[in-house]
Amino acid sequence: MEEFRFIDLEINTAFENMAIDEAVMLAMHRDDVPPTLRLYRWNPSAVSIGTFQGMTDEVDVEFCKGRGIDFIRRITGGGAVYHDFEGEVTYSIIMPKGHRLAPADILESYRLLCGGIVKALGHLGIQGEFKPINDVNVGGRKISGNAMTRRHGCVLQHGTTLLDLDVNLMFSILKVPQEKISDKMIADVRQRVTSIREILGRHVTINELQDALKQGFSEALGIDLIPGSLSKNERSTASTLAQEKYSTPEWNFSR
Amino acid sequence: MELLEVIQMREANYKVPDGKLVKVKLEVASGRIAKVKILGDFFLHPEETIFEIEESLIGHAGDIDSIKRSIAQKLADVDATLIGATAADIAKAIMLAWEAK
Repeated sequence: MEEFRFIDLEINTAFENMAIDEAVMLAMHRDDVPPTLRLYRWNPSAVSIGTFQGMTDEVDVEFCKGRGIDFIRRITGGGAVYHDFEGEVTYSIIMPKGHRLAPADILESYRLLCGGIVKALGHLGIQGEFKPINDVNVGGRKISGNAMTRRHGCVLQHGTTLLDLDVNLMFSILKVPQEKISDKMIADVRQRVTSIREILGRHVTINELQDALKQGFSEALGIDLIPGSLSKNERSTASTLAQEKYSTPEWNFSR
Repeated sequence: MELLEVIQMREANYKVPDGKLVKVKLEVASGRIAKVKILGDFFLHPEETIFEIEESLIGHAGDIDSIKRSIAQKLADVDATLIGATAADIAKAIMLAWEAK
């Protein structure tokens, strides 16, 4: 089986997490590092917005500041996501353009890579399904959101899988547009999202989800996950990107 | 007389059926687009194309067909892929903002 570097569950700030994803792409573009899968958590908890979204349109910034929740713009499109430190695990997968797991058709790419999440849920005893464009649903409710970019000669996809969900907190942080809710014809926003703990009715641990994701991606994508770490160069690039890009108001409030 | 010119800020959201949300912020001066920002949870590869699209719309009047053509042309120029919305959807969102008071 094809080998991927596997950077197992790390805990970083929002700025470090997004900086590392981009640093890996830049290193891969120079052929310095192999295709890579990362698992990570966000500490402090943070909200990330899609690259085309307006920060103040999507996020109650004052509420976040009061609660010590970070806010950050991603390099990927898609929507706003609340990454609760205790309530989700994020993955990112990075490959060179033209890789067999990164077909030219973008929807097909999402379907393929989201297969890792579907398989991971299966290991936990949950039947999930890919919901185009970029979600994984369980029983019609979203449990995982994903986003892809193609730049620096690479394809990057990252996404969240919800372990737990504090709906009240989520909707205090996010400003959900009325149009989006009504279109789905579901009056109650609580019915649109679910979590692993809610479905299974027990306290599934972060480690269980971590193991399921590891196994799920490996099996669904047919890849061997070889434990690895960031190169010195990736660390230094990531540190610069975190400081000079991802933590700055110029980037985060650019739209 | 330019000092007396009224610049109007307009805004609209359009949820694409089975697609994403497009949010438009528009400044209109003398019956023309002076500034436009296209926001939302759609995908566009390469992402930087959004700036070229926004730039290309400056000076347009509120005509949905010419706006749509301009967006489609920019997408074609750089072989960009828009996911979760089409050029027509963005043009529609711009017109909703144009007509908003």
